[in-house]
Amino acid sequence: MKRYRLQLMVCAGTGCVSNHSVEIKDALDREIEKHKLQNEAEVVFTGCNGFCGAGPIVVVQPDGVFYQLLKTADIPHLVEEHLLKGRPVKKLMYSPPAEKIPIPKMSDIPFFSDQTLIALRNRGMIDPEQIDDYIARGGYKGLVKALTMMTPDEVLKEIKSSGLRGRGGGGFPTGVKWESCKHAHGDIKHVICNADEGDPGAFMDRSIIEGDPHAVIEGMIIGAYAIEKVHQGYIYVRMEYPLAIKRFQIAIKQAREYGLLGENILDAGFTFDIDIRRGAGAFVCGESTALMASVEGKPGEPRAKYIHTVERGLWERPTCLNNVETWANVPQIILKGAQWFSSIGTGDVSADPWGGSKGTKVFSLAGKVNNTGLVEVPMGIPLRDIVFKIGGGIRDGKKFKAVQTGGPSGGFIPESLLDLPVDYEELTKVGSMMGSGGMVVTDEDNCMVDMARYFLAFTQAESCGKCTPCREGTKQMLDILDRISVGEGTEEDLVTLEDLSNVIVESSLCALGGSAPNPVLTTLKYFREEYEAHVKDKKCPSHTCRKLNTYSIDEKICLKLGHGCHVCVKHCPDAAIIGERKQVHYIDPAKCSKCGVCYDVCNFKAVQVA
Amino acid sequence: MVTLKIDDKQVQVPEDTSILKAAEKAGIWIPTLCYSELFEPYGVCRLCVVEAVRGKRSRVVTSCNYPVREGINVLTNSPKIQWIRKTILELMLARWPNVKVVKDLARDVGVEKPRFVSLQRDEAEDACILCGKCVSVCREVVQANVLGFAYRGIKREIALPFGVQSEACIVCGACAHVCPTGHIKMVVEDYKGKKPEFTLGPKTAIYVPTLQAVPRVPVIDADSCIHFKTGGCEYCAKVCEPNAINFGMKDEVEEIEVGQILVATGFDIFDASAMAQYGYGTLDNVYSSLEFEMMLNSTGPTNGQVLTKDGREPRSVAIVHCIGSRDTNHHSYCSRVCCMYALKYAHLVHDRTKASIYQFYIDMRAFGKGYEEFYVRILDKGVKVIRGKVAEVVEAPPAQKDEGSLVVRCEDTLAGKLLEIPVDMVVLCNAIEARRDSDAVRRLFSISKSPDGFFLERHPKLDPTSTMTDGVYIAGCAQGPKDIPDVVAQASSAAARMLSFISKGEVEIDPVRAFVQEEYCSGCKICNSLCPYTAIEFLAEKKVSHVNEALCKGCGTCVAACPSSAMTGHGFTDAQILAELDGIMV
Amino acid sequence: MAKLKIEDLDRIAEEARSKMTIREGAGKARITVHMGTCGIAAGARAIMSAFLDEIKAHNIKDVIITTSGCAGLCSREPMATVEFGNQAPVKYVDLTDEKARKIFKEHVLGGKFVMEYALSVGSERIR
Repeated sequence: MKRYRLQLMVCAGTGCVSNHSVEIKDALDREIEKHKLQNEAEVVFTGCNGFCGAGPIVVVQPDGVFYQLLKTADIPHLVEEHLLKGRPVKKLMYSPPAEKIPIPKMSDIPFFSDQTLIALRNRGMIDPEQIDDYIARGGYKGLVKALTMMTPDEVLKEIKSSGLRGRGGGGFPTGVKWESCKHAHGDIKHVICNADEGDPGAFMDRSIIEGDPHAVIEGMIIGAYAIEKVHQGYIYVRMEYPLAIKRFQIAIKQAREYGLLGENILDAGFTFDIDIRRGAGAFVCGESTALMASVEGKPGEPRAKYIHTVERGLWERPTCLNNVETWANVPQIILKGAQWFSSIGTGDVSADPWGGSKGTKVFSLAGKVNNTGLVEVPMGIPLRDIVFKIGGGIRDGKKFKAVQTGGPSGGFIPESLLDLPVDYEELTKVGSMMGSGGMVVTDEDNCMVDMARYFLAFTQAESCGKCTPCREGTKQMLDILDRISVGEGTEEDLVTLEDLSNVIVESSLCALGGSAPNPVLTTLKYFREEYEAHVKDKKCPSHTCRKLNTYSIDEKICLKLGHGCHVCVKHCPDAAIIGERKQVHYIDPAKCSKCGVCYDVCNFKAVQVA
Repeated sequence: MVTLKIDDKQVQVPEDTSILKAAEKAGIWIPTLCYSELFEPYGVCRLCVVEAVRGKRSRVVTSCNYPVREGINVLTNSPKIQWIRKTILELMLARWPNVKVVKDLARDVGVEKPRFVSLQRDEAEDACILCGKCVSVCREVVQANVLGFAYRGIKREIALPFGVQSEACIVCGACAHVCPTGHIKMVVEDYKGKKPEFTLGPKTAIYVPTLQAVPRVPVIDADSCIHFKTGGCEYCAKVCEPNAINFGMKDEVEEIEVGQILVATGFDIFDASAMAQYGYGTLDNVYSSLEFEMMLNSTGPTNGQVLTKDGREPRSVAIVHCIGSRDTNHHSYCSRVCCMYALKYAHLVHDRTKASIYQFYIDMRAFGKGYEEFYVRILDKGVKVIRGKVAEVVEAPPAQKDEGSLVVRCEDTLAGKLLEIPVDMVVLCNAIEARRDSDAVRRLFSISKSPDGFFLERHPKLDPTSTMTDGVYIAGCAQGPKDIPDVVAQASSAAARMLSFISKGEVEIDPVRAFVQEEYCSGCKICNSLCPYTAIEFLAEKKVSHVNEALCKGCGTCVAACPSSAMTGHGFTDAQILAELDGIMV
Repeated sequence: MAKLKIEDLDRIAEEARSKMTIREGAGKARITVHMGTCGIAAGARAIMSAFLDEIKAHNIKDVIITTSGCAGLCSREPMATVEFGNQAPVKYVDLTDEKARKIFKEHVLGGKFVMEYALSVGSERIR
């Protein structure tokens, strides 16, 4: 094997690839060859680094120097300076907001340093298409330990006492689920990996698959071994994740070649294989029964779950479904032990598996924070730390308003509750949920009515339409919110909205309907005054709902700075702006349809919103 | 057994019973919409929600598919449940304000006007309340899997695969049957411009063939039974307590060896649609004689009442004789029975309705015992008997509709007048004609037929029951049109002829007949098909032909045809004939 | 690829160890060759090649070689700093190919300072 003194880890997660990281790698290879360093430096593609807001990213090892927001034009300079002369290039490094001095080392950047990696432990460290890389980082050691040193019951006990709970949303104790499946009647059982991540703005599962597919596969093999009578597993992944599918395909192929999948795995007398099933991207197919229907080739619609899928799931056989992140945690628990895992997190799970939240959780941090991307944090970390330490606080020095957790069906958590420790129970208590781990931060510029409307529009469009409350109810809720946002709402509408939301929560067939009203309910609870401003004063406090704004032109600015530039007149679709070129412009309120185009196009901020 | 409380009433039911069933047992009503006993609960309308309370924990569940649990208390009408049900019905009412089931249920739970904006779409398009009953029945009971849902959320709708009529649909109508709103309808489509025939067959797939059937048990019509089309349903087997339903039974071919055969294969009736002027098959309320006979039958589709297609009693009925009989374009013979049954129809219609009755005849042929007297009786009842062949039957012009929906045009040849008579119903007296398969039957038994298509008797006067083939007899309308007394007489005669052979115990045959010299026979089978009496069969195991001596008439056709001279006549061998010739020459 | 035995896993891990050591940035020893303009002019390239050569020859997997810019002592170039385990870093000056190989054998592999080439033990700390 060839030895290099330098390894350049180029992020090939979807985010960085979209930002041309492939071209960056090509440029690096070219420059390295030019400087005849090809025997000293190797350029490697890795999975997602997590700091997607800073992509494309290159980390130079062993120094651990973190380069961000690279362009191909930067590469010749970078290679010459850093690789040849050993002088890290400061201007390509990360500087925390409001500070000037860049931080060279990845491990010193707060975004990374405050994280605890279990599911993402291999991120940026391995080439996900090389099984040897995974093995070199201790991969498949957990499997060896399970197969050679532990009985299936012992594996199960280990998972149970670790306190691992489902990372897909519900937070059902994984060990309890495995145990029920193990004890269910049936000679053929299945395990499924739910990789149908569909929340807008959430991409932790995709990132794990793209960065470390073998961890998921190893977890599934261990699960199949523990549950017993499981010889076929399925990975249900959406078609919209082509790279994830490709990485899984490569990983499964390599694992089969190594005999880690297939008959008589590692000569331990255990047989198990995995196939990929591709979904068409319906949000509801992330729900377990809908997912299984889809795997069976039926329309992806949920069914009543009074008989659990661990008893009658895929093809009526006992089926254990866990999500990507849950499976990825399994090998580490087996390798390092339940005690290690349960030492991280909150509560006590030794008596009651619901008694606490253990391990770490991956969140995709998005919205108005400085550092957006994927973060893995220990359970119990205060929300404030995620937003302000890891996330680097609110962009442009604006004021924090709320953070929404748990994807489109999660609730909004206001500033007053920011010191809340992140765990399943605490989030549920305040009307939100852990969900799959979406985290959207909003600031003072966001209108909470508009945010609730946005997320409800998503769940409404993704409702399968099977049951009445979700199908008809979410549509009616959306209609009410639409009315409120254009100033046609009444106080009675707020009462109806809340009442209807509660009915939908109580009576829907599956969790999609059961949680869809959460954004509305939490915003009604914590930000009711914003709703009231919309319906009583017909005003949107953050001026997001444009139909409630009044637009006017500041004569002084228009004349002094803009010299009557006439741009607004050209763009106004209603011909509501009067004024000759080089003269002051006015908006005729009778004609103005409040589209806000003038505000967007004015280069001098002469258009005032009230 | 599981014991639980429903609205504080103690109930004991077997495990796996749904709360809904348990409540039914306790006499407690829970509203349902998408539930049906025919298939697995679908659980989507959410109207059957109840509170399942255990200790301090209460859970809202759908009673149709939630199994009973020991010790729980179920609240079917708590304030919370009422609140949920009302809101759901408000939602439904906002979408389907004019659908009856929704309106009724809303009224039952006390919802008058929904709080929500109307999402109503075009009523004719959107009476579907998305309960999914049709989909479930098609998938689980019929197993045709034709219906499904398309699109999602608020756009969800019932759909056929790719939105087109599916080949897999067996047109069983189960979906229309379970549809609570009438959104699914069964529409009979015109077939090549013809109205569907007045069906004489059974109305359901399981029926008792006739009330006189022996044994009188129901049979399954495999052509219309859902099970035989898709393998699904089997509902009859589920409800039949003695387990008497056997889907595995097959049609069987039984071979019976007999010495004599009576061919009494009956007749067909003339298809009146060949005479377009009478409007049969294109106009409503124009019936063939057999269809009208069915209508008059007390077990028929109208239970014996004379009714027009729209269910009214006709004001007038025209009975038209000689449809296809005594007509050089169709059958030149007289069908013999029509005059009398036409008079019978007049008699029955007179009995059962107040309609005025018209008979249109060419010649009234009331021959035979008591027939002429019956004719006179009918005349006395005031039936209008008009001599003249009907020219045409047409739909009444709008001006005449209040007198009759049809108009019969005819010349009264006795009065020399043209008539236009408005009537509500026309009954055609179709000709009796030979069965369409009579040629195949004829060949099977080696019997002949006369030019009119009926089987030919050996002698029209002296032997009207036997045929040119020994042991094969004919009787009834297979031989020619005749009424019931004539048929009975002919059949009795044939039976007597057969019995005379049976009692004799042996058959006399002519000495002159052919036989096969098996050592010469090459097995070419030429003689088999030539024999006019089907007396020659082929012995497959010996690979030679063989003459059935009881059937052979000694005609010699086979002897002349045999290429290897294996076929020889008894008493007419080449050697015998040559010897005779030698004798003459001497 | 043949089916793996359990012991094969360790072999694969071992083979990829050097790569991982670099990525994890956690080797037994770290050699920093100072490659500013002055260092390169004075022949740092040859020193670097010598170290790389030695690593290859001895099949070493847990030694990291990095470069840095000018150390501020241009007259004593080529220079290299060796950090071994938790010991203080040692700066070597006026290196040649042979000196580098000796340092590698004695210090990097043996853990013993080569005092005759050393400038100082310990180094200045930034911040």
